[in-house]
Amino acid sequence: MSTAIRCEGVVKHYGPVRAVDGVSFEVQRGEIFGVIGPNGAGKTTLLECLEGLRSRDGGVVEVLGVDPEREVREVRRRTGVQLQSSALPSRITVGEALALFASFYERPADWRALLTRLGLEEKRDTLVEKLSGGQRQRVFVALALVNDPEVVFLDELTTGLDPQSRHAIWDLVRDLRDQGTTVLLTTHFMEEAERLCDRVAIVDHGTVVALGTVDDLVASIDAESRLTFSVDGRPPVEQLQAVTGVTRVEATGDRVVVHGNGSRFPQGVLGVLADQDLRMRDLRSDQPNLEDVFLTLTGHAMREGVVS
Amino acid sequence: MNAFRQLVGIQARRTMREPAAVFFMLAFAPMFAVAMGLIFGNEPVAQFGGRGYLDANLVSFTAIIVVILGLIIVPVDILSQRDSGALRRFRATPLRPGTYVAADVLVRFVISLTSIVVMLAIGILAFGARPEGNLGSVLLVAALGVVVFLAVGYALAAVLPSQGVGQALGNILVFPLIFLSGAAVPLDVLPDDVRRVAQVSPLTQLVELLRGLWDGQPWSEQWVPVVVLLGLLAVAGVVASRFFRWE
Repeated sequence: MSTAIRCEGVVKHYGPVRAVDGVSFEVQRGEIFGVIGPNGAGKTTLLECLEGLRSRDGGVVEVLGVDPEREVREVRRRTGVQLQSSALPSRITVGEALALFASFYERPADWRALLTRLGLEEKRDTLVEKLSGGQRQRVFVALALVNDPEVVFLDELTTGLDPQSRHAIWDLVRDLRDQGTTVLLTTHFMEEAERLCDRVAIVDHGTVVALGTVDDLVASIDAESRLTFSVDGRPPVEQLQAVTGVTRVEATGDRVVVHGNGSRFPQGVLGVLADQDLRMRDLRSDQPNLEDVFLTLTGHAMREGVVS
Repeated sequence: MNAFRQLVGIQARRTMREPAAVFFMLAFAPMFAVAMGLIFGNEPVAQFGGRGYLDANLVSFTAIIVVILGLIIVPVDILSQRDSGALRRFRATPLRPGTYVAADVLVRFVISLTSIVVMLAIGILAFGARPEGNLGSVLLVAALGVVVFLAVGYALAAVLPSQGVGQALGNILVFPLIFLSGAAVPLDVLPDDVRRVAQVSPLTQLVELLRGLWDGQPWSEQWVPVVVLLGLLAVAGVVASRFFRWE
């Protein structure tokens, strides 16, 4: 695999604020790479430096082998961009927007096929401002793909969308990756990163605090999983505590919470219940996720207002 | 070239879809000529040296169109597109700003000039207004006026911070400028001091130039307004091209 995007020690400050403070990573061709972190972490500024929309104050950026600041047109030609806050001129239709943006490129994709793929073929003659939020977002995704880009940048792709639109757009992004397009996206939704990204860089206060696959990052923090359920009858607390990997068992009435490490202990727990011939109800399993990774690494929660 | 064609098509359709733009850019001037013709007619009047109201005033209505275009319509549209992020989205493509501006200028020029030609045609054909000078020269100056005030519009869009400011400034400036230009109220009825101040306004100069040529005065007597208008075009053009920005 070859490198699609490389950045090394990228710095961007606004006055005294270091919005991006020495970020380095590489994105391979054909992968979905997520830059994740809370609002205000510097994700959008970083992305704009990579897109060549903002000049950096230090460091090296290469997109498809060229510096996006120096060879702006080359990067514009070969990449697609979906901006976080974006708009189109008022009073134009979906079809007009696509035809217009296609005309900016020498070898555009077939924009009609693109509309069909995004489920917008019936909206071709609708004014963009009359679309729902999800439909409009799909138009902006279509605009990002209208030049058949080798690399596509998606900034907060699904913010403000309903779950159905969100899933539809995730499917589309996976399709893109499967066809060989490199995708770099930013998100503050951990679920989006977990479901979509091959690798992620977790960013906080302008620096990368962790880099890797979601599974590796979650495994690296060595956090406990939790199994919660109710049983008919007295919970077999001692037997559960003896299961390999279990660290702690809490029982309140018939409700039981089993804490443990690794991926094998739930099986042991089920075995104990089967041996005791106890019926289990309302089973819930909580695995550590990227939120926990973020919390462990930074000491504060991803979302504002969430007290850890 | 393909991008230019697409932009021209889209800007034309966008403009025609907005009622306010259609009204002010296209319908206002002809309707104004009809209204004035119906109210005042074109019978010879001593006040106008034995000519009719439209004979004396029709051509100066042009100034009303170009000042609304340059001080309100153009800056408000460009600024609202910059405020909304639409221009920023263009910046993320290989489109050159010059191509965008050229297409926009062409569309607005054609629409505005069409409106002025229809207005003059109504005055001449329906109400019998007669130019004493060369109609070709008059149209040439009308075209110059449109170009100058389009440039002013782009210069304002380049330096003003937001659509709200553009709208406010346009509304504050447009009415005094029209009033002082003599396009709506004859300058003769104003006090001398006000008339002297009015001469500073480029819009007044445009009205004087249009009237002079309509009345059959030679170009050689028109160098002051011509210099003022070309000077304004140069300044506005430099400001617009230096400070125009996508975001």
